[in-house]
Amino acid sequence: MASNQTRLLENSARSKPMRPAKQRDMSQLAVSAVAYIFIGAFSLLCFIPFWLIYIGSFTAESQIVQGFRMFPTEFSLDAYRFLLQGSQVYQSGFVSVFITVVGTSGAVLLTSMFAYAAAHPHVKYRYVLSFYIYFTMLFPPGLVGYYLLISNWLSLRDSLLALLLPLLFSAFNSFLMTSYFRTLPFELNEAATVDGAHELYIFFRIIWPISMPVIATITLFYALTYWNDWFNALMFIDDPHRHPLQMMLRRIISNSQNLNYLNTNVNIPVSATGVQLSTVVITIGPIIFLYPFLQKYFIKGLTIGAVKG
Amino acid sequence: MGIWRELRKNRWLYAMSLPVVLYVFIFSYVPMTAHLLAFKQFIPAKGIWGSKWTGLDNLTFFFTGPDWLGVTMNTVYLNLLFIAAGTACSLCIALLLNEIRRAYFKKVTQSLVILPHFISIMVVNLMVLNFFNGQDGMINRLIDRIGFEPVNWFQTPAVWPYLLTIIFVWKGAGWGSIIYLATLTGFSEEYYESARIDGAKRWQQIRFITLPLLRPTIIVLTLLGLGRIFYGDFGLIYGIIGDNSLLFHSTDVIDTYTYRSLRSTNMNSYSNAAAVALFQSVMGLITILFFNWFVRRVDNDSKLF
Repeated sequence: MASNQTRLLENSARSKPMRPAKQRDMSQLAVSAVAYIFIGAFSLLCFIPFWLIYIGSFTAESQIVQGFRMFPTEFSLDAYRFLLQGSQVYQSGFVSVFITVVGTSGAVLLTSMFAYAAAHPHVKYRYVLSFYIYFTMLFPPGLVGYYLLISNWLSLRDSLLALLLPLLFSAFNSFLMTSYFRTLPFELNEAATVDGAHELYIFFRIIWPISMPVIATITLFYALTYWNDWFNALMFIDDPHRHPLQMMLRRIISNSQNLNYLNTNVNIPVSATGVQLSTVVITIGPIIFLYPFLQKYFIKGLTIGAVKG
Repeated sequence: MGIWRELRKNRWLYAMSLPVVLYVFIFSYVPMTAHLLAFKQFIPAKGIWGSKWTGLDNLTFFFTGPDWLGVTMNTVYLNLLFIAAGTACSLCIALLLNEIRRAYFKKVTQSLVILPHFISIMVVNLMVLNFFNGQDGMINRLIDRIGFEPVNWFQTPAVWPYLLTIIFVWKGAGWGSIIYLATLTGFSEEYYESARIDGAKRWQQIRFITLPLLRPTIIVLTLLGLGRIFYGDFGLIYGIIGDNSLLFHSTDVIDTYTYRSLRSTNMNSYSNAAAVALFQSVMGLITILFFNWFVRRVDNDSKLF
């Protein structure tokens, strides 16, 4: 009898917290199920168009005209052969790589130096500097002024500088960096100053190494902007020799009859669609391979920069 | 005195900021002077200062013309759709990604939902063309297969605000979720602990803890979006619609309109475009000041400045 009672007591003592726990599990389970289904579906939706393009670009001409397929039917490299034997893809590829490498390096250097000064507690006018930038976001100069500046006042038409200069600074990236630098312990600075280090030395030798997450993030952002830019090319570049890849893509999309633009002198029967798809693969290739490696950094960089910045 | 002393004392720091200060002066402040063209008849050879003043003629021309109300309404309407759908989807993705426990699944899906953000609008343009094209686009084949009448998408203006919203969400919602996700992973576990002891179900925890804590972030991001409500997404809209005038009725926004005015062969094209650009900049400034004032009254912590 006594042992039965203690067992009952034990049971009730054990089952009392058990019951809400079980309910909690059920609601947790339901939410989890929704999460897995929704996220799974949305990521598939994000992925399928890329899959279709990759498969399409390797599909034989006769098959591709019948529409896109999820799985490869008849393998063929004709579209790539056609594209890569022309000279335009190399010219445009060179332009894209050039502006991305040069532009991104310059932009990261300028932005980080500015952001450092705007975050430095010794700089009395740091908020003036920030507002000077902020005002351009409140009251943007507008398309007409921008167009006149590049094409008439600076005379950069058909020059690679028209692709490089306009993207050299972004207020948003600068704010991200400024708020990151503000989180750094200022004692670092003071200790180095006491040791007689020069401001530039402190910046490049002490601040840069510990700011890698934000620098990697900003580098990726600028690189993407340069790599994906077509607007400046559309406005200011008429000479096909200076078309970046995105502009080349636009050309063969908007004028699909005219594959002569690619300067190919071989005769392979290809359709515009096949060539467009292979161009897309070449255009997005570097990004797709690059960004999974940087993802860790930019999530961290964005977090520190943007949350309560 | 004070200023010079300060500049001298921190000359290296100011020197580091100098390139950007000059750059922004040339690339943002100098072009602002083009707003003056709205009040002039601009002849490029004579320059801004040499051209003749015409008072409010250009503005009158724009506001009495048939287009201004349409493009303004389109811009605002599309932006409202984008903001509402974008915020809702980004929030959903962030909340649900947060529920996923399997690290591998989470990593892969997160990479995938961010993926569309990284490609250029030209690539999106190509996808849209191939999916929605006349008879042989993918979507129409699908519609045909399940027994409905194919739609001629590129001649149907009414569907484009929604299609553009879907494309916008597809391209940006995953990326937009990063900030929400980053914010909510920072919330203290204690809130959830005590809620669990009180017997709160999982979705109740989301509703009564996570969402209220996310409120400031949601407000700030929505404000940033609302502040740009008079700016159309030129890349998205021009990239996809281009010069297809059949769709202007529902998709022409201030930015594409200005671009076309600028490109037109009309003698007064610069001044007309400048009038539109001025209208846009002024409206933009007013909106952002208004929303900031509004939020400061409602919830001072969430204000932008």
